[in-house]
Amino acid sequence: MLLEVRDLHVEFRTRDGVARAVNGVNYGVDAGETLAVLGESGSGKSVTAQAIMGILDIPPGRITGGEILFQGRDLLKLKEEERRKVRGAEMAMIFQDALSSLNPVLSVGDQLGEMFVVHRGMSKKDARARAVELMDRVRIPGAGARVRDYPHQFSGGMRQRIMIAMALALEPALIIADEPTTALDVTVQAQVMDLLAELQREYHMGLILITHDLGVVADVADRIVVMYAGRIVESAPVHDIYKAPAHPYTRGLLDSIPRLDQKGQELYAIKGLPPNLMHIPPGCAFNPRCPMARDVCRTDEPPLYEVSDDRGSACHFWTECLHG
Amino acid sequence: MPEPLPQEPYTSGGGRAPEDGAIAATGMGGAMDLATSEGETLEKRPGGPDGTGPWDRPRSLWSDAWRDLRRNPVFIISGLVILFLVVISIWPSLIASGSPLRCDLAKAQEGSQPGAPFGYDGQGCNVYTRTVYGARTSVTVGVCATLGVSLLGSVLGGLAGFFGGLSDSFLSRITDVFFAIPVVLGGLVLLSVVTSNTVWPVIGFMVLLGWPQISRIARGSVITAKQNDYVQAARALGASNSRILLRHIMPNAIAPVIVVATIALGTYIALEATLSYLGVGLKPPTVSWGIDISAASSYIRNAPHMLLWPAGALALTVLAFIMLGDAVRDALDPKLR
Amino acid sequence: MGRYVVRRLLQMIPVFVGATLLIFLMVNVMGDPIAGLCGERQCDPSTAAQLEKEFGLDKPVWQQYLTYMGNVFTGDFGTAFNGQEVTELMATAFPVTIRLTIVAILFEIVIGITLGVITGLRRGRPVDTSVLMFTLVVISVPTFVTGLLLQLLLGVEWGWIKPSVSAEATFGELIVPGLVLASVSLAYVTRLTRTSIAENKRSDYVRTAVAKGLPRRRVITRHLLRNSLIPVVTFIGTDIGALMGGAIVTERIFNIHGVGYQLYQGILRQNTQTVVGFVTVLVLVFLVANLIVDLLYAVLDPRIRYA
Repeated sequence: MLLEVRDLHVEFRTRDGVARAVNGVNYGVDAGETLAVLGESGSGKSVTAQAIMGILDIPPGRITGGEILFQGRDLLKLKEEERRKVRGAEMAMIFQDALSSLNPVLSVGDQLGEMFVVHRGMSKKDARARAVELMDRVRIPGAGARVRDYPHQFSGGMRQRIMIAMALALEPALIIADEPTTALDVTVQAQVMDLLAELQREYHMGLILITHDLGVVADVADRIVVMYAGRIVESAPVHDIYKAPAHPYTRGLLDSIPRLDQKGQELYAIKGLPPNLMHIPPGCAFNPRCPMARDVCRTDEPPLYEVSDDRGSACHFWTECLHG
Repeated sequence: MPEPLPQEPYTSGGGRAPEDGAIAATGMGGAMDLATSEGETLEKRPGGPDGTGPWDRPRSLWSDAWRDLRRNPVFIISGLVILFLVVISIWPSLIASGSPLRCDLAKAQEGSQPGAPFGYDGQGCNVYTRTVYGARTSVTVGVCATLGVSLLGSVLGGLAGFFGGLSDSFLSRITDVFFAIPVVLGGLVLLSVVTSNTVWPVIGFMVLLGWPQISRIARGSVITAKQNDYVQAARALGASNSRILLRHIMPNAIAPVIVVATIALGTYIALEATLSYLGVGLKPPTVSWGIDISAASSYIRNAPHMLLWPAGALALTVLAFIMLGDAVRDALDPKLR
Repeated sequence: MGRYVVRRLLQMIPVFVGATLLIFLMVNVMGDPIAGLCGERQCDPSTAAQLEKEFGLDKPVWQQYLTYMGNVFTGDFGTAFNGQEVTELMATAFPVTIRLTIVAILFEIVIGITLGVITGLRRGRPVDTSVLMFTLVVISVPTFVTGLLLQLLLGVEWGWIKPSVSAEATFGELIVPGLVLASVSLAYVTRLTRTSIAENKRSDYVRTAVAKGLPRRRVITRHLLRNSLIPVVTFIGTDIGALMGGAIVTERIFNIHGVGYQLYQGILRQNTQTVVGFVTVLVLVFLVANLIVDLLYAVLDPRIRYA
């Protein structure tokens, strides 16, 4: 395994109380593999990614338990300086909103070149040349001329390509993409996603794709992990999940995708709201919203039941769900 | 939906676009600038009942702010100080006997003694009594000037922001003109010809030079509030201008004005004292901390107590109002949560 | 960029005219412009009438204003009460006030920004809370009180400085007065820097910079500071005009013969020419400082430059 997250716990201490954002997450990704992490906002998917990258805001955030094994080393045990050398060079992150994630007062060339200056000790001139190469690589037209431009001078799609170029700069082993296409126009989304998938294959990188969009996932992911209230509720190869979900929450997500063959019918929506992370309901966190909930769901927290070799579901009644 | 107005790209607190104010909001000089620029951080807050964290159920901005304030020691302390000041402004005889104008030259410059804990000033007046009675003048000037400035400023600024167009550009240029005149200088020039010894010329001057500050804040927050979707929706549903202004925009645009006005109140009190110190503000027999400090400054070597007590009272009063404004701003600014 | 400058210059004109007209009206209509010309005693009516004619005071105010402005732009600011040219007064007064302003600005930059950066990075810690409280106190104590207190302590009690500044007004003598003049702005620069740093610290691009694996030092200096200081620099720029206008109180306390002193004398002696002349120049300084700040803004922030 390239990366393995084991029993990770993260909480946020705020004035109003402790929000338990991640509660015992386990997942892994191999080189060349794409893992999609699905969930609503507040499900802990981004917080887990930030913990892996080591960019959590501490305080108020705090990692209270677990291990993050990257190429065999536990990242949580590294010193900050060692950790820093991993960031950007061996694992990189692509953020959702490229406009706010790029520094508005530095040219894109400076921001791309910075990777080579800091991690590889290159001269500014060489770094600039590498920046142009990178921009070519992510197919930004006229890279040589645009390297001096500032982020706000690019279109949304082009800016996200620059983010991708920045993540790829040092050919890291792992890329975490946090909703990389959500902020883009639908027409551009596919282009950016295809580019990302293509580059991943080429460099044989591991990719963790964080999203709430099941449509994107089907085409590019190998495995899917569904998160709810800071826990993994289902984990499965991508095709299995689309065929037959083994958790009522996954089923709800799938049912709420609009489909052409159901034109005219009322669109399904999971009732209720995601739980308040300061007061996660006892038992199965999903029980107040679950159509199948019974008494045991309100008292006993379901473990991740083994559905098959490479598949798990945290539902007491996963067999019912799978076959009904 | 109409095109939304271009939003400022800045996220930083005091950032301002040159586009927006040809002249920076800092012309007033000294402490009066504080309120303006601090208010600007609020101005950019998209008004509306959306100041909730990701996990909270929706609450209104005001009840949220009130809940915050009640727990904030800064608010409680400054509130108590202000309450005390207001009480002794109305009934100074509660804690000070005798008249601040009854002076005995024989006792001039004497130090602390029974009946006169702060000693006597250069004219032999009781410093304690004068300090207590000085609160009334300062509070009166501060409150009246703030009320005048807020009313005039928010009505003019609000209307200009709401209707836009020619009246707006005209008002913006007028505000620029006022900002270009340093406030203490303006006070010297304007008040040096006034002979009245009431507080009204000073208040009038503050309103005259202070309103552009509030009008700029009000204009900005009305423009922000106007862009909110629910305001656009109300407009689309055919609500009248006056209804939109009163029901939808006012409640959301008023927060920055309140914050800036509270802080400004403190600075007006300081400004009155400064003008009185320069000899153009209030004139005897009005009892004012500024006048007393000015008189005391010539005895500073021999009898510093004459200066320290009114100066301390003045500083404490201004501090209380600025702290109150600060606490209110923190409570009303969801970004700081 | 060129068009931007031209547009800014054009926008300055109505503000300049408005502000000077306002001051002109205040002085000429509300005051008695010839009262100061006959010295201590009252002018007799015939002299008054003659003087009015001589100074063009019998003409409508707008005509007087135009004549005055016409003169100003040929370098003629009129004469002061003692027969000295107003321009001569300016030549001695402005260098002093400019030195005072420079000292004040240096204090704002060095102390204000440093404190702001420290507190902004350590938001909520004891050092932050105490500095924040201190700035509130500084803002609350009016400048003239701060000045008198420092004069009392440093000048009278401890004898570190001379309580009043000599006619030369060297930089050394102006350190304490400059600190007094800067005090409120200094506190404000601290708070502004702190807010700006604390806000940008949580911004997405700083998170990106951290995720890129940049050393903390580089994240702060190259990414965080560069963005956070833009509003601070612009504030300090606009403050130049405000400081020169506000120097009147400081100059009175420390007996500095600068712009504020001359203005104060002019007002006391009801000398129209001095007052209007000095205020006109101050307004001009204020406007030019603002123009420079706007241009500086464009230099520092590419989003403006290419807008």
